[in-house]
Amino acid sequence: MKSDIALSGALNFLNLGDLLQLFGSNGSTGVLRITSPYAPEPGVVHLLKGNPVNAFTGDETGLKALYALFGWVEGEFEFTPKEVPTEKAIEKGRMELILDGLRMLDDGEIQLIGPSERPDASQRDAPSAGGGPLIRGPLIDYMYVVDEEEFSAGQEIVKENSHGNWIWVVVQGLVQVRKETDRGPLELIRVAEGCFIGSMATFTVNGNVRSATSVALEDVSLGVLDTQRLFTDFSALSPTLRSLLLSLDKRLREVSDRILDIHKRAYSLDEYVKDREATIRQGNPEERLFRITEGDATVVRYTDDGHVPLAKLKKGDFFGSVPFFDIGQEPAAASVFASETMQFETVDIGPLQQEYDNLPATFKKLIEHTATCISVTSMVAADYHKESLKEKG
Amino acid sequence: MATINLKKKEIEAKIVYYGPGRGGKTTNLEYIYKTYKKQVTGDMVSITTEGDRTLFFDFLPIGLGKIRGFDVRVSLYTVPGQVQYSSTRKLVLKEVDGLVFVADSLQVRREKNMISLKDMAQNLKDYGLNVFKVPLVFQYNKRDLAEEGFPILTVEQLDKDLNRQLKVPSLPASALKGDGVGATLKECLKLTLKSLKSQFQEGS
Repeated sequence: MKSDIALSGALNFLNLGDLLQLFGSNGSTGVLRITSPYAPEPGVVHLLKGNPVNAFTGDETGLKALYALFGWVEGEFEFTPKEVPTEKAIEKGRMELILDGLRMLDDGEIQLIGPSERPDASQRDAPSAGGGPLIRGPLIDYMYVVDEEEFSAGQEIVKENSHGNWIWVVVQGLVQVRKETDRGPLELIRVAEGCFIGSMATFTVNGNVRSATSVALEDVSLGVLDTQRLFTDFSALSPTLRSLLLSLDKRLREVSDRILDIHKRAYSLDEYVKDREATIRQGNPEERLFRITEGDATVVRYTDDGHVPLAKLKKGDFFGSVPFFDIGQEPAAASVFASETMQFETVDIGPLQQEYDNLPATFKKLIEHTATCISVTSMVAADYHKESLKEKG
Repeated sequence: MATINLKKKEIEAKIVYYGPGRGGKTTNLEYIYKTYKKQVTGDMVSITTEGDRTLFFDFLPIGLGKIRGFDVRVSLYTVPGQVQYSSTRKLVLKEVDGLVFVADSLQVRREKNMISLKDMAQNLKDYGLNVFKVPLVFQYNKRDLAEEGFPILTVEQLDKDLNRQLKVPSLPASALKGDGVGATLKECLKLTLKSLKSQFQEGS
């Protein structure tokens, strides 16, 4: 079969409009097959002497199907020259189809099937009444999803301090991530489609303790990820990248714990800044990445309402800037204070970047999601800090 | 850069009519379609976009000669100006070979002309083209409205507003009556052909 394909490639390079023009001026006859990671079944267009005569998607045929395919902006296409039925389900001219298809896409009449730019995202981004920040992620490629699970509103998905090493991706619905306190649950963030539940710590020997509780806020469907496959990906990484990722995961746990501390007012700022020297000052440019070899450090954000503690770092932890993800802390939005005894080394970013670039998409998304969560929980920490000052005053 | 169709031995060039909404772009194309029917190949495609229409048809210019033995076929388009039509605009402006900017002579539309021209320059830039390099002709449309007592801008004012830096040919027109429509297209074709010839290094 494969050898019959005359042309194939990526849709984000040549979109359906471009392809139809190309086959049009070439007068091609054959079958154009389009696959998208966001659609369960491929789309098919029949071309007769350069003109689209019929199209098929999962549930539509003819003109409707062809127009729907203009919304497939991510994915792959293959063109195979062969005879197609000469009966025309689509009568309109090529250029009219292209111009009208694109017009409908621009007018929002055609649903865009692709990552992050989902048409309903803008409305849904406004958190529901009383809700905190909401994180949404790009949709995941189904290769890693082994099963789907449904949870009804109010149901607990994972419980803090329980054991488990499954990782889910939210396919639909809204999930609250929270910590238990003696005064009841404290919301950290809300996550929606494309976000992960569970962390990379799962890949380590003692990492299967849940750091927070996740509760379905509405009816939620989750995709169960192939943890074995992710684990295999993870094991194949270099020791440096592995420890960087685990340090990233630890950073998220740290910031979540700080939110709890701030909420309970159970911390002293002295612990974070006294007798410490700023290694990275908030706002000063720093493009290098460091690893602590001795001693410890703290991460503190300066805001108009004073200092907000974000994390404690220990031997083996990383700090500085990582070019391939943004955790919204140092160097732009937090300072790093070193203990008197702290020693650190510079880490060569080049090989890490190269390794990262070659990671499977799902794995990258998991990493990006962790980085986004750190960034957002840092903001939440600052908000709780501000609130706690108000209550005091 | 135009596409070369080896099967048909044709060079397919693209000329786009740009300008503020209701300025007369579609009137130009409709007039050409009607008047030069023999040179038009295929139907006119008309897509209703918000506030305007997007038109398209193929045109075979006569008497312009061949380039390296290839006939030249021209696709004429209008482009929707509204911000939201980015996919449509991208398709239309991509690899454009010649532009006609249809400006509205009405005094009240003065600012609309300038905004639209600025948009055009930015859109071209977004698709990797330079407004100073793409063959461009200005058409100052609706000259006839002066007779009906509407306040219109003088050609000098329009030139000063729009054409001070670009310094490209500009022609007066009354597209509704057909005056100047053919002349504008001819001027644009001339520039486009010249530019194509130098791209294909005719005679080198």
